[in-house]
Amino acid sequence: MISESTVRRWYVPVEVETLRRWLLVSFIVNLVLLSIDMLRGGGMVLRIGFLGLVAIGLLINTLPEASSPTTRNTSLVLGGGVLLIGLVRFMMTPMTAFDAWMQAWLIGPGALTILWVSSPPVTAWSTRNLSLNAIEYGLARNQRYGPRLRAFGAHLVLLHFVVLTLLPLLWILDIALSPGNALGGSLGGPYTGEHFSNMLGSEAFWTWMRNSLIVSIGTTLLGLVVAIPAGYAFSRYKFTGRDVSMFAFLLVQMFPGIIILVPYFLVMKSLGLLNSHLGLILAYCVTALPLCVWMLKGFFDTVPRELEEAALLDGCNQFQVFTKVVLPLSLPAVAVTALFSFLAAWNEFLLALTFNTSNDMYTLPVGLASMISSTGQAWGDFAAASLLVSLPVALLFLFFQKFLIEGLSAGGVKG
Amino acid sequence: MVNVNFEHVSKRYEDGFEAVKGLNLEVQDGEFLVLLGPSGCGKSTTLRMLAGLEEVTNGTISIGGVSVNHLPAGARGLGMVFQSYALYPHMTIRDNMTFGLRMAKGKDRLSEAEINTRVKETANMLELSEHLGKKPKELSGGQRQRVALGRALIRRPQVLLMDEPLSNLDAELRHQMRREIRRLHDELGTTTIYVTHDQIEAMTLADRVAILDQGVLQQHAPPLEAYKQPANEFVESFLCRHLDDLVDTANTLLRSEAQEEVN
Repeated sequence: MISESTVRRWYVPVEVETLRRWLLVSFIVNLVLLSIDMLRGGGMVLRIGFLGLVAIGLLINTLPEASSPTTRNTSLVLGGGVLLIGLVRFMMTPMTAFDAWMQAWLIGPGALTILWVSSPPVTAWSTRNLSLNAIEYGLARNQRYGPRLRAFGAHLVLLHFVVLTLLPLLWILDIALSPGNALGGSLGGPYTGEHFSNMLGSEAFWTWMRNSLIVSIGTTLLGLVVAIPAGYAFSRYKFTGRDVSMFAFLLVQMFPGIIILVPYFLVMKSLGLLNSHLGLILAYCVTALPLCVWMLKGFFDTVPRELEEAALLDGCNQFQVFTKVVLPLSLPAVAVTALFSFLAAWNEFLLALTFNTSNDMYTLPVGLASMISSTGQAWGDFAAASLLVSLPVALLFLFFQKFLIEGLSAGGVKG
Repeated sequence: MVNVNFEHVSKRYEDGFEAVKGLNLEVQDGEFLVLLGPSGCGKSTTLRMLAGLEEVTNGTISIGGVSVNHLPAGARGLGMVFQSYALYPHMTIRDNMTFGLRMAKGKDRLSEAEINTRVKETANMLELSEHLGKKPKELSGGQRQRVALGRALIRRPQVLLMDEPLSNLDAELRHQMRREIRRLHDELGTTTIYVTHDQIEAMTLADRVAILDQGVLQQHAPPLEAYKQPANEFVESFLCRHLDDLVDTANTLLRSEAQEEVN
């Protein structure tokens, strides 16, 4: 039986609930910011910041309660304290975007606390004994605004990650578009396409691009040709040494690449594959293969055996079962695997640097690195080249993303 | 004559488990045989050996007098309906049904026109004509079941195999499909072997039931005969007592209803 007191106990205005959650987040963020302050040298700013952290901590524990004016007053005072501390810190620190953002994590919560705690719904709830009707209304209000506030908070936090991810990209874009060779500086200002036309006009860049494409596509194709049958065999057949070789695959993956670099070099040298595309393709396939095989095996495991049995009864032989039924169903997994091999080969640096030492066999990452030493500080060209290198990969992702989602929604055997 | 013969057939798995022990069973031409038994009794293994999906450890399986022990699954002229339907998700209903026909080689190969007639005929029989262009995921459970049936029937199989085909359907559809399957059998006269653990399905569908337990055939008889003269204790408890319980439950319900009406 739900009594009046149950309803009374359960009702907390959405503002207070939200404050409890958001203040906790800002407490954690301020904790992180405090450690940044500490790294920057501390002093007065650090001490005041610590005070702000304590105030937020107290505030979380003294948020208003039902029919209790004291708690409301305490919250108001502490909220004001947090706001004040934030403002003081704001005055003391230099006027940079980063500092303003740091202080906003004190000013914001403080101001919001004062605003919401002094708002009519919270005031009424914490100072008077509400009527049942008012509580009913309040609960409806909670249901209306709760989800919206929660979504807003989540997006606000996520926005930080987005900025964190995009900022370096924006910076590179700015460098690539700015005239001259300035590395730092502020965003904005005059723009030019000279760096891009420099790169696109240079013969070396296209040679590297060609090398990278040959090696990456070669790795992808060869990798798939080997990994698909291997993954299928591991998934469907029992044979001697199956588990051991599966494990060995992973084991190889656990060593850092630099360990095998020298032996690899000697092997390639004796095979006469230094300064060749094939050498790199083979090396990349070997390194990418374990993961590809594991991924494909994992997917093949999910293709129901009954489908293959139905195909057998329909007159397929084992190979046709694979090509006509299993493989078409596994295209999404094959696509992921292909993408993985391509990316691994496209971005690889160490092996490419070691094996292919002649300028016209450089892949893009090696070519990019060579620009830093050989042409002094051509940062603008370098940034433009980096963007151009990332472009095919980004396009590939865009293309595959659509395909992946389409693929994943297919399938389904039972009703 | 398409009769199926199991002679001293047994199946032992690699781990030593003996799923079927010395099975002797004869299925006559045009007969509807139901393999009935609790789970793990070897009924599915028996069917899968006949289908060519499991190897036979010992004994001989023959279809129409020819031993098929070493014949690949596709060469045995069978149609099979799986419990999970096992429709190819990436093909349309039409392609699902014609896949087997298109895989045929040599003189078994049908012309495109012939394939089309067969599709039309089968789709009409199973009321699938409007769905031929759809993918399996767009169909309901009952429709998928009918596609699976159509895929098996379109090849005009010598023997039709069904492995618990109705267990994924809800009660109403199951009832409906049960009648449908029996009707198709009466119409086409295909020798049919049907695996189930459901006593009612067995009683209503079968010309004869073969009751299995722990890999051993317990009784092979028309359903009513098995009910009236159970061969042993197992058949009595698994078939007779189960059916009696059902009847009792129904009677109790009816009696209490009658009682209420009197009151």
